[in-house]
Amino acid sequence: MKMSRLLRRQRTLLNCAPISHDRLADRSMRAVVARADDSDEFRKQQNFDRAVAEIVHLIPIPPETAEWFSEKDLNVGSKWTWRKMARNPAVLAISIAVVVIAGVSVFQVLSRLNDFPGSATARKLLTVAASTRPVMLDPVSTEAGTLSDLFFMKHGLEHYDVPAEFGDFRTIGCRVFEDEESRRIAQIWLAEKRIQLFLFPAERNPKTGAVLWFPGWRYVHQEGWAGAVTERSGVCFMAALRGSEKDLALYISNTKGQ
Amino acid sequence: MLGDSAKAQEVFQTTLREAALRAAQGELPREPFWLFRDARWRCLETVKEDLQPEALKLDEHDVAPHAASQIEKLEPAQLAVWISGAPDPQRTALALFYLDEFDYQEILDLAELKLNELSRFLAQGRQQLQAWLNAKQPQQGKV
Repeated sequence: MKMSRLLRRQRTLLNCAPISHDRLADRSMRAVVARADDSDEFRKQQNFDRAVAEIVHLIPIPPETAEWFSEKDLNVGSKWTWRKMARNPAVLAISIAVVVIAGVSVFQVLSRLNDFPGSATARKLLTVAASTRPVMLDPVSTEAGTLSDLFFMKHGLEHYDVPAEFGDFRTIGCRVFEDEESRRIAQIWLAEKRIQLFLFPAERNPKTGAVLWFPGWRYVHQEGWAGAVTERSGVCFMAALRGSEKDLALYISNTKGQ
Repeated sequence: MLGDSAKAQEVFQTTLREAALRAAQGELPREPFWLFRDARWRCLETVKEDLQPEALKLDEHDVAPHAASQIEKLEPAQLAVWISGAPDPQRTALALFYLDEFDYQEILDLAELKLNELSRFLAQGRQQLQAWLNAKQPQQGKV
């Protein structure tokens, strides 16, 4: 191919074609060199440049100057490497920010995976459990399962039934209170491992009013407290204790997933 | 750039001394090639103080097929003097290009040239060097 057939821009680039092929800096240069590679004129140019560069490298450097450099130091400029890039403060800061954002996002997604209708209320009630003292409840010493009648007779609360898993435990006290949304909540304190039980209205669809049902037992966690929640007949029941999900699972393991 | 090793030595030491001082004061520029740019300007300043060659229109010949063998016969110092005699910025362009340590974009950055200027300086440089080689080695030039 004749170099005269090249476009003016390509010809301009070709005049600057590197002597060493490892200095083919960009795509346009690579393309134009590849195109002209078999032309006599370009071959002459390359041979000429190589010959001149060889002589240039033989130009004596004063020994006082030469001793400043090892062969390695003569590599010009700062070459781009992954390690160097990773140490760049800006890249480091962005990487940390991305990792933190990703971590928060993953945490939120995982939290959402464990959400269920009424989980927000359950978490609030765990905070209530943490701040409740026995003196705040009416002293009642009976089996937890029998308090359903008390709630119905005294407070008119229907279906506020303690599930069979916790029905046989002795109680220390109980109370009924309203939360900030005026929902009536029953709280029972058990002698067993200072477990607290809560009964509260299940979440409903705001449009249809239908109870948002969920199957089996679900767990919530808040400030060192764990709660196991289930829903029956439009009422949620939560057993709460200071500890982990494992401690609660002991009580409901036989019925989990029902 | 200077065609004189003593002057080159002096410029080199001044450039390094200045760089060391700036480093000690934490004032090293973040831009790449600043040391080379600095050295280049010191070279140009040094040359300014010398006698200036007359501005002549040099002959230009097409690059010959046997140019490589003509160049091989050159003494390195002769070539250094020839390059240092070129007017700047062509001298900078030729010096940086034939050092073969920079790609063309780096040379554009360092010598503060545009692509078409660098291209023209290199193309002219080849043809002028070829003309000089032909004049120096007339026998071979005619083959």
